[in-house]
Amino acid sequence: MAEYANVVRRAVGQLGGHGGVKGFLLQLFRVNDIKTGALVGVDKYGNKYYEDNRNFFGRHRWVIYTTEMNGKKTLWEVDGSMVPAEWHRWLHCMTDNPPTTHPPEPKKFLAQVHQINLSGTSNCYVPYSTTRKKIHEWVPPKAGEK
Amino acid sequence: MLRLPAVSRALAGAAHSKGSISTTNNVWTSVRASSNMVEVFVDGKPVMVEPGTTVLQACAQVGVQIPRFCYHDRLSVAGNCRMCLVEIERAPKPVAACAMPVMKGWNILTNSEKTRKAREGVMEFLLSNHPLDCPICDQGGECDLQDQSMMFGADRSRFTEDKRAVEDKNIGPLIKTIMTRCIHCTRCVRFASEVAGVEDLGTTGRGNTMQIGTYVEKMFMSELSGNVIDLCPVGALTSKPYAFTSRPWETRKTESIDVLDAVGSNIVVSTRGGEVMRILPRLNEDVNEEWISDKTRFSYDGLKRQRLTQPMVKDASGQLVATSWEDVLTRVAGALQGVQGSEVGAIAGGMVDAEALVALKDLLNRLDSETLCTEEVFPMTGSGTDLRSNYLLNSRITGIEECDLLLLIGTNPRYEAPLFNSRVRKSWLHNELEVAMVGHKVDLSYSYNHLGETTQVLQEIADGTHPFCKVLAQAKKPIVVVGSSSLQRDDGAAILKAVSTIAQNSRAISGVEEGWKVLNVLHRVASQVAALDLGYKPGVDAIRKNPPKVLFLLGADADCITRADLPKDSFIIYQGHHGDVGALMADVIMPGAAYTEKTGTYVNTEGRAQQTRVAVTAPGIAREDWKILRAISELAGVTLPYDTLDEVRRRLEEVSPNLVRYDDVEEANYFKQAHELSKAVNQSLLAAPIVPPQLTVKDFYMTDPISRASQTMAKCVKAVTEGAAAVDEPSIC
Repeated sequence: MAEYANVVRRAVGQLGGHGGVKGFLLQLFRVNDIKTGALVGVDKYGNKYYEDNRNFFGRHRWVIYTTEMNGKKTLWEVDGSMVPAEWHRWLHCMTDNPPTTHPPEPKKFLAQVHQINLSGTSNCYVPYSTTRKKIHEWVPPKAGEK
Repeated sequence: MLRLPAVSRALAGAAHSKGSISTTNNVWTSVRASSNMVEVFVDGKPVMVEPGTTVLQACAQVGVQIPRFCYHDRLSVAGNCRMCLVEIERAPKPVAACAMPVMKGWNILTNSEKTRKAREGVMEFLLSNHPLDCPICDQGGECDLQDQSMMFGADRSRFTEDKRAVEDKNIGPLIKTIMTRCIHCTRCVRFASEVAGVEDLGTTGRGNTMQIGTYVEKMFMSELSGNVIDLCPVGALTSKPYAFTSRPWETRKTESIDVLDAVGSNIVVSTRGGEVMRILPRLNEDVNEEWISDKTRFSYDGLKRQRLTQPMVKDASGQLVATSWEDVLTRVAGALQGVQGSEVGAIAGGMVDAEALVALKDLLNRLDSETLCTEEVFPMTGSGTDLRSNYLLNSRITGIEECDLLLLIGTNPRYEAPLFNSRVRKSWLHNELEVAMVGHKVDLSYSYNHLGETTQVLQEIADGTHPFCKVLAQAKKPIVVVGSSSLQRDDGAAILKAVSTIAQNSRAISGVEEGWKVLNVLHRVASQVAALDLGYKPGVDAIRKNPPKVLFLLGADADCITRADLPKDSFIIYQGHHGDVGALMADVIMPGAAYTEKTGTYVNTEGRAQQTRVAVTAPGIAREDWKILRAISELAGVTLPYDTLDEVRRRLEEVSPNLVRYDDVEEANYFKQAHELSKAVNQSLLAAPIVPPQLTVKDFYMTDPISRASQTMAKCVKAVTEGAAAVDEPSIC
């Protein structure tokens, strides 16, 4: 009986744990999941990291992404690369120590501001061509040079 | 033996004087005598051949190909490679098929044991000194030695000695030599001395130490030099610009037409991955036989440089900036609509196809403008361009082989039309053609009677007082060729009148049959005949006299109109494919397609309509020229009534039906009437000597936007002026 009561309690907690009807719907559509857990930490960009060990391994840690990062609206367009390096290792279970309790050693190569992956955008990295051009176009002379 | 043609010519001349007919190795003149045909057997199959036919030709008549290296249809017979050995029944030894005339009743065994053994032996000797570098050889895939060793060679080698090595020669920026590969067929030597007419190549040494070369290091200085690349059966002579770029089986071949001169040589454009890799000649007996000039062959790299790839407009500061087609088309249409029809003019350049010409003419006519000019001048007085015979090479290029006297006036055909010149040389060499010339003395690769360079000489010949008139009077089939450049002088009409008089007089005296044409004009640019057929005005005088507010330059890069000739606020539109003189002065640039990128009609100087084919797509967002003009017409509110190429050609046919009768020469006539009309010309000849613009080989290489953009051609000019060593590049192998 108590098991069933727990299930009901958990269900009620999940339905009400996102801040009312609006928060619930937002969570449902953004994350496709309404599970709740203990808030382990929030990084400086606003990504929230949760843990609930009642879920099976692999689904017990998750992130609710921030709504704006690197100047990009990320309410609906989220990307796995929004997770900064220090949280990545906790989120992917490489360690059990979150950066809130064990702040990472400062390293030169760690970015001060984490950048989202730019693939597929206009700012994406394009390697320069190593082949010669097939057609060399005419470059008009600068005006007034003649 | 290698200087055989000179000797045989002398012998033939001597024989001629004695009254006998020489029937030796001359493959061009066929003595038709059906009564005394000789019957021979090829592998038992009977065939009737003319006496004097060689064994090799007799075999070719029944479709049996004899392997050969040194033999070539258009060159004299050398007989030194021995690959064509065949057995003749009851003959003691195998005979060289290329040099042996057939005898009655011979049975030629082309596939007997003895023949095969002979071939195998010859092949083994050839290969004993041939390097095994086929994988890095540029001839790979089109190598006669490769193919024939597969067909006729032995399947194993008995070779243990060292191979002979020969030093490579630097014979200019066009031909790469890897002399170790040479099998001493001497085709290149014979080509140079017979067809090209330059005694540059020869052999030194004998036997195993024989070498082909120039003896002292010098450039192979001929406008037809590239043809030795095709002639070389192995990879000893290959193309320098093409070296290590592609293999013949990788390329796609498109049959097309050359537009860099007015001859309209037939070419094959080899492309790979949307890039022109090389240009080769295509057989057309009536035009270029199987040769092409160096400009045709090697200026293709000009198609990849200085190209207009996107539309451009001048911004407020006067700088040309790239823009979109929508923008540029509306600007052009607006400019055309904004002025009166009489204030619009157009100049068509030398490489424009007939489709674009007719579209531009229709467009401007619809805007009430008649000011459509070509860059090349032609005298308009007398019958002018109304009679087609006035501006064509009426005798055709093949007519040179029938004539017995050629009078060149104010032209240097060697550089203005190299293939025409090679035809003259061929006729001079084999048909005893006599050549005379009025104009600046130039090297034509054959001897000619130089009559002088003043117009006075011309007048004397026309009046019949010059000593040359006696020679002219004896000619059975005379031809007079006047260069288009001499008609561009201020006294062009008077020159044409004098030439017409000479032609008319000589035709009357010679009593040649009605169909024989005497008067010929040799043009220098590919588009001129089509433009005149379509009714363009030759020369830009009309524009100079009445400067238009809007000037449309269709590929006009000859610099005959400058900004200074036009009012300050005039609007110049340039449409073309290269950033050259025209693009520099333009306010708006519309990128068009070059001749390898469009299907276009070109009419050569004979009046022969031929078409180019699309080999590669135009670069960037450049478009076919007639399509651009069609788009402008729609925006300008005078839509042209054609949407497809077929419809444009139907329009061409309406204007001038000969423009769409491809590979056909339309007859032109009314010489007498033209001559009568030319009598009305009361212009007097100027005293200035007649000097064609291209005098030496240096002037030949860069004459148009494509060849001016070509680095290969620039190297040629440098090599000619500073010596071949100046452009020497370290070779990789």
